[in-house]
Amino acid sequence: MNLRGLRLPVIPVLALMLTLTFGTLQAFAQDQLGSNSNNDRPNILLIVADDLGYSDLGSYGGEINTPVLDRLAQQGTRYTDFYVSPTCSVTRSMLLSGTDNHVAGLGNMGEYNSPNQMGQPGYEGVLNTRVASIAELLQDNGYHTYMAGKWHLGLKPDQIPHARGFERDFSLLVGGGSHFDDQWNLEWQIPVAPYTEDGRPVAKLPKDFYSSKAYTDKTIQFIEEGRKDKKPFFAYMAFTAPHGPLHVPDDWLRRYKNRYDEGWDGIREKRLARMQELGIVDKDDNSADRLYFLPRSTTLVPAARVMQGRKMELYASMVEYMDDQIGRVFDYLKEIGEYDNTVVIFISDNGAEGNDLRAMVAGRAGTMGFLHGMNNFAEDGHNSLGRKGTYAEYGAAWAQVSMTPFRIYKGWVAEGGIRSPLIVSGPGMQGAGEINKEAVLHVKDIAPTILELAGIQHPATYKGHEIEPMQGKSWVGMLNGETQSPRDPTDWLGWELFGNRAIRQGDWKISWLYQPFGSEDWQLFNLADDPGEQYDLAAKFPEKRKELIALWDEYAETNGVIIGQRSPFEGARKALPQQVPEYDNYPPLRGLEALPYEKLIELMGGKTEDKE
Amino acid sequence: MKSLNRQTGLLAIVGTLAITLSFSETAFSVDDGARSYWKGRDGTNVVSFQYLNLDMQAFGSQQFDPTHFIYPNSDASANLMIASYARHMTLFNRPATLSGNIAGGSADVDVDTSLIPPDFLPPDVIPGASLHQSTSGYADPSVQLDMNLFGTPPLKSTVDLANYEPNFTLDAAVMLAFPLGQYDSDKVVNMGLNRWYGRLALPMKYHFGAFSSGYMRSFELTPSMWLFGENDDFMGQTLKNDAMWQIESHLTWDFTRTFYGSLDLLYRSGFQSEIDGIDVGDKLNIGDLGFTLNYKATDNLSLRASYSSNVFGDSDLNTSVIRLQLVYGWHQLTENQKKLQGGHN
Repeated sequence: MNLRGLRLPVIPVLALMLTLTFGTLQAFAQDQLGSNSNNDRPNILLIVADDLGYSDLGSYGGEINTPVLDRLAQQGTRYTDFYVSPTCSVTRSMLLSGTDNHVAGLGNMGEYNSPNQMGQPGYEGVLNTRVASIAELLQDNGYHTYMAGKWHLGLKPDQIPHARGFERDFSLLVGGGSHFDDQWNLEWQIPVAPYTEDGRPVAKLPKDFYSSKAYTDKTIQFIEEGRKDKKPFFAYMAFTAPHGPLHVPDDWLRRYKNRYDEGWDGIREKRLARMQELGIVDKDDNSADRLYFLPRSTTLVPAARVMQGRKMELYASMVEYMDDQIGRVFDYLKEIGEYDNTVVIFISDNGAEGNDLRAMVAGRAGTMGFLHGMNNFAEDGHNSLGRKGTYAEYGAAWAQVSMTPFRIYKGWVAEGGIRSPLIVSGPGMQGAGEINKEAVLHVKDIAPTILELAGIQHPATYKGHEIEPMQGKSWVGMLNGETQSPRDPTDWLGWELFGNRAIRQGDWKISWLYQPFGSEDWQLFNLADDPGEQYDLAAKFPEKRKELIALWDEYAETNGVIIGQRSPFEGARKALPQQVPEYDNYPPLRGLEALPYEKLIELMGGKTEDKE
Repeated sequence: MKSLNRQTGLLAIVGTLAITLSFSETAFSVDDGARSYWKGRDGTNVVSFQYLNLDMQAFGSQQFDPTHFIYPNSDASANLMIASYARHMTLFNRPATLSGNIAGGSADVDVDTSLIPPDFLPPDVIPGASLHQSTSGYADPSVQLDMNLFGTPPLKSTVDLANYEPNFTLDAAVMLAFPLGQYDSDKVVNMGLNRWYGRLALPMKYHFGAFSSGYMRSFELTPSMWLFGENDDFMGQTLKNDAMWQIESHLTWDFTRTFYGSLDLLYRSGFQSEIDGIDVGDKLNIGDLGFTLNYKATDNLSLRASYSSNVFGDSDLNTSVIRLQLVYGWHQLTENQKKLQGGHN
C-alpha cells in the first residue's frame, strides 16, 4: 500500500506512538498469538519456494504430493489473494524490507536494468541501504537470524546475507544455477554460482550436494547450534526449487512417471475442479484460455505428450522433494519442542516459469552464453533430463497449469505472474484449516508482520542514517482473528517490472502489458468475475479505468518508478508465434478427436454393401 | 514453441535409440558382442556385416574351437565375413529378436601330424609329416530367437520407447545352426561342421546410469549351453562332443553420445570330444578377454571394432580375434519422420 504519500505527516507521530506503546504492543501481540516455549517471542520460519505455481500444492488443488505443506495448511490458514512480484529478486527485496521494490533497490532486476535506470535511486540492483532488512532488525533485537538458500540481492561483501543481518547463512548469491555440486551459474558472466557460508565464500560444494537437502541440513544445523541460549530464531529458508533447471536426485527422478502423459489441458481441468472443490476458487470462476501459441495437448501424438509430460514429472518431483525436506525441519522443531512456538510462513516468490530461460541463458550459437551452455548443461536426452548436466524447463504450457486458473506466468504482471500460495500457521493463530478469500495481501506485508510478532518497532533510522518506512501492512490482527483483511476496499496495490505495470484496488485491476500478451495500453479487469483476466472492460467502464490509472501515477511517483527504455519483453511480440485463434470450439474441427474410419462410415450412413 | 519442437525432435532419437545397438550373431563361436541383447522397437530391422580374423595356435592336445575340431599342434588362421539380419518384434506380448546369420570365408591350417593317431589323419597324409591345408566356402548358417522374460516391456510404440528405462533384464535365447556349410571329410579344416548344433542362452544385463545416449552403462552376462549333434563323417568316423558351457560378459560404457566401449570376457568349458567312442583331447578351458569400441556414425549406422585373446584357462592354446563390424538399422516410422523433417537432423 502506498504509505509514502502520507509519510511526512504521519510517520513521526506513528513512530512516537509506537515507541510509547512498544511494551504494550509486544505484550499484545504475544498475548494474542500465544507464547508457550522457553522464550517469550515466537520463532519465525519463513519458507520461500522459487517459481512455484499457485495451484501446485495439494492444498491449493494441485495433484503434486505435498503432504507436509498440506498439513501446515490444515494447521494454519491459506490465503487466495496473496501477491508477489513477477520475478524473484524483486519479490525478495520487498519480502525482507517491507517496502516497494522501487524503493528497496530492485526497481528492476539488476540483470535487466535499462540504461535510463542505471545509477538511479531504487535501481541499485541490490537490496540497498535505504532500507533495513528484517534480519538486521531481528538480529539487533535478540533473535538468532539464519538463512539457507537463494539470496539474489547482492554479491559484494556489504550486500551479502551475513552483512544484511543473518548471523548464520548458507546462501546462493545469484538467481539460479545447477542444483547439484557442479555449481554452474545461469549467467555466463559469472560461470560458477557463488555460495557463501557464514559470510565467507564457499570454495567447493560437497559431491553429494543437492540444493533442497543442503538448505534443510543447514537450517537444522544452525538452529541446533544456536539454541543453547534460548533466544528465538528467525530462519529464512529460500529454496531454489523448483526453479529451472529442473534437477532431481536420482532416486526421485521417476516419482511421477507417466502421471502427466495426459497432457496439460486435462491436468489443468482437473486442477480447476479440485480448486473449486476445495474452495480456492469459486464454482463459477472462469479460467484463462490456454495461451494462443500452445497446442491443445490432445493434438500431440502420445509420444510427444509423454516427452512433454516428463518435464512436468521432474517439476513435480522437485516440489515433492522440497515438501519432504520442509517436513524434516518440522520434525526437528517438534523434536526439540519448538514447533508449537514457531510461526511458519510459506510463499512462492513469483509465478511459475513459462519463459524459455535456457534459450535466454544459452543464447545463440557463437555467443559466450552458448559456450557456457555447451560446457555445463548441453545434455538433453529424454532419460537424462533432470540429472546433472541437463537444463530442463517445463515450458509455458505446464507453467499455465501451475498457475491455474490465471493468465500468463512469471515475468508478467498478469495474475499468472504475481499470485502466490500463502500459508501461515503459528501459535495462537485463528482459522486453522480455513481459506481466507477476502484478504488482499502483498509480500511487503510479511516484514511488518514478522516485526510485530517479534515485538519490534521499525526504526526511522538504522546505522546512523534514515531509512524508508515499511509500506506493507501487518497481518497480526488478521491472524489473531480480529479482521479478515489488513486492507479495506479503498486500499490498492501497485506493480511495475520490465515496463509492464498494474494496479489492483478491490476487485478491479488495470494492467499495461507488452504485446502479444497485452495491448500496450491499459486494460481493465474485474477479478471477482474474471480471475483469468479474459475480458477487457476498459471500454465498458472508462471511469474506473481512469480512476485506476490515476492510482498508477501516484504509485509511480511515490516510489520513484522509472519506466525502462528497454525491456526484455519489448520483443515478445516478434519472438512468440503469430496469434492464430484456437479455442475449445474454434475452429470447429479442432474440437474433434481423431475419428476412426469405421466410425466415419457409420456417421455417413453405413457402407454401401450393408444397405444392399 | 521451441522447447516443444526440440522435444518432438527427440522422438527421432528415441525411435532409433536401440536400432543400431542391438544385434546378435552367433557364428564361429566368437562372442555375441556387447549390447547384443538390447531391445529395439517392434518392427526395427538391423543388418550387420562383419569381418573376422581368427588366429589360433593349439599345443598339446587342446582344442581351440568349440564348433571346429582342430588338431593338436596346429596353427590356423581364418578370414570370415558374416552377414546378419535381425528383426525386433513382439512375441506373446514380450519383446523378442529373430536373427539369422550367413557366413563364409577361408581358412588355412598347418598341423604337426606326429602326435596324431593315423586313424585321425586324412588318407593321403603321411603320419609325422607336416600338413598344410586350405579351405574356403560358406559356413553353417544359423538362426536365433531371443525373447525377454523379465525387465523389458513390449516396445510396440514410440511411447513405449520413451518410457523405456531398463534396470535388470533377463532373456532366453535359442540358436540353431544348420549343417549346410562347406564340408570335406578328407580335410582337417572345414567351414561347416557337418552336424546340427545349437545353443540355449540366458542373456541378462543390468543397466546403470541414465538410459540416455552418452550416459548408458551396462553389465551384461550371458551363460549358455551349446549342444552338438554327431558328425558321422569325420574321416570316415563318428565325432561326438559333450555340451559346451559358455559365459560371456561385457561391461559397457558410453563415453559420448556416439561412442561407447566395452570390456569383454568369454569363458568356455566342457566340449569333450569322442571319436568312435574314444575320448580325444581335453575338455575346453578357455578364457578370452578383449575390448570393443563402437562409434555411432548416424542414427542408423554404427561401426564397431573389437579385439580379444585368450588370457586365462589352459595355457596350451592361443587365440586372437579381430572383428570389424558395420551395423545398419532402421524403422519405417522413424524413416518417415525424417522425411517429414526434411532429412536427417
